Amino acid sequence: MRAMSAGFSLYGWLAGLGQGLLRWLLGWWTVLFTGAQVAVLAFSPSSYGPEARSAVLRHIWQAAGPGLPGFTTLMALFNVVLIRILVVTAFSYGLTQYALDAVVRVLVLELIPLIAALFVAVEYTIPGGSELYKLRRGGALEALRARGCEPLSHEVLPRVLAGMFAVLLLALLSCLISLLLAYVAVHGFTLAGLPSYNHAVGTIFNPVVSMIFSMKTLLFALAVALLPVANALRDIPHRGSRTSVELQGLVQMSVLMLVIEVASLIGNYY
Amino acid sequence: MTSTEPSAAPADAPDAVAQVARVPLRSLERRAVLLLLFMALLVGAAVLYLMWVRGAFEETQTLYLSADDSEGVVVGMDMSFSGFPIGRVSRIELADQGTVRIHVDVPVKSARWLRTSSVFTLEKGLVGAARLRAFSGILDDPPLPPGAERIVLRGDVSAEIPKMVADARDVLLNLNRLTGEESALYATLGEVQRFTQRLNSSQGGLMAAVTGNEADARRVSELLGQTTQLVRRLDAVAQRVDSVVQRADRQVLGQDGLMTDAQVAVRQLGALLQELRQSMVKVDAVLTEVQGVAANAREASTDLGALRADVESSLRKVDALITELNRKWPFAPRQQEVRLP
Repeated sequence: MRAMSAGFSLYGWLAGLGQGLLRWLLGWWTVLFTGAQVAVLAFSPSSYGPEARSAVLRHIWQAAGPGLPGFTTLMALFNVVLIRILVVTAFSYGLTQYALDAVVRVLVLELIPLIAALFVAVEYTIPGGSELYKLRRGGALEALRARGCEPLSHEVLPRVLAGMFAVLLLALLSCLISLLLAYVAVHGFTLAGLPSYNHAVGTIFNPVVSMIFSMKTLLFALAVALLPVANALRDIPHRGSRTSVELQGLVQMSVLMLVIEVASLIGNYY
Repeated sequence: MTSTEPSAAPADAPDAVAQVARVPLRSLERRAVLLLLFMALLVGAAVLYLMWVRGAFEETQTLYLSADDSEGVVVGMDMSFSGFPIGRVSRIELADQGTVRIHVDVPVKSARWLRTSSVFTLEKGLVGAARLRAFSGILDDPPLPPGAERIVLRGDVSAEIPKMVADARDVLLNLNRLTGEESALYATLGEVQRFTQRLNSSQGGLMAAVTGNEADARRVSELLGQTTQLVRRLDAVAQRVDSVVQRADRQVLGQDGLMTDAQVAVRQLGALLQELRQSMVKVDAVLTEVQGVAANAREASTDLGALRADVESSLRKVDALITELNRKWPFAPRQQEVRLP
């Protein structure tokens, strides 16, 4: 009798595990499927009619415009502090020739894309996802579909495109500002160090590193833009509230970004 | 319009969205387009800058370096000249002979530092990456042609260490062998010690120490005394020889010496030869005259033949006349003999 109850509990545990795994797989499948649908829509010219184009442009401005000055200023300040620490440390150890290398690799290649992606996630895509979730719960998406408008192209695609665009724009602008600040920190306000600086940047950004950097930033942008939206489009069992959707989206996003970051590090340094 | 855009509904949208929604739509779109253009500009500038610093717009020439080991060489590493990077490794491959062939792209404007006599080294220190360096000792040499192939010399500190340790161990072993109790050096030092002991023993002094016994030392000192006498005599002989040489010098090279007479004789001989040359010139003139006389004589002998014929005919006529006279008496001589003039 005792053995039977133990077997029953093991079965229940296994069943629960299997259900959890299935849910997990289903969740990622939803994300991937939504991503594929959005990609198809993004590359279809029919998605950019006058009305849809207007929606995309509006979302692009909403995602990147308001946060751009603040983020760029904050990142510039952060860059100045970090560059100063790296340069002074390198100088004190007599490793001046590696100072620029360390600054570019730490800031431009690793930190800035990550911070830009997190900023856009917190500032735009997670609130956007919760907004979409509320629309879906309120039946607005069904109403749209009933009127003959596909919600995926009217509500989802602009948000995903705008999120990706915002990550790419903020990351690129901050990288360029960081390169400029690194030059000033190492050489001062003079043009005399330009040839050696250009040569150092050229040596760091070899084709492999450039490709990995571009791919990583693009995947960050995709993860940040797609995950909250995809989570908003599905029902999560036992977690019906708005907060849980946002939190789950954030956790998923962090895990995915960690995986991307680790993959890029392996590609760059192994 | 608003029916197809539920996200713009102010009822459940966040504040930011509501704020954005208040801005006229046309203005929002314009700003978004500006952002897109800005993004395109940034991407274009970044790509162009990276291509420029990677040397995509620079004309390069290739230099092939061959080495026996590619350890430490990586694609993208610099080749420096006097600390300045002038080239970049673009490819590494194994050549047919099993050597390593390193392709180095050198910008044409930097290639002027490379000459035909340039030397290339690959240095690998204990710490840090390997360094590929070029040295041009003579900058007046002709420039290195594109596609030139050179051998790279390796300076690998870490590879030298095991060899150095092995050498040091050999040296230490040799030192041990040298200083061991059975070594030649040890025996030599023992002998030296015995020698110095004998030297310090004050029995026979240095000679006894060298020869080993007193009798020999005495003999050596006698020998030395005899040698001194011999040297003294030799000195006297040398003095005598010196005076002889001085005398001979005076007689030969002195004021009235042999050499002075010889010089006078040679001078007289020169004058004599001069006179002889003049006499010879005169003899030459005489001979020329004689030649003229001989020519005249030859002509005269030609005329003499005709004269002789005349004389002969005259004589014949005289003979006939005399014969005529003889035949006539009283002129007939008793002695019929005519005397010719």
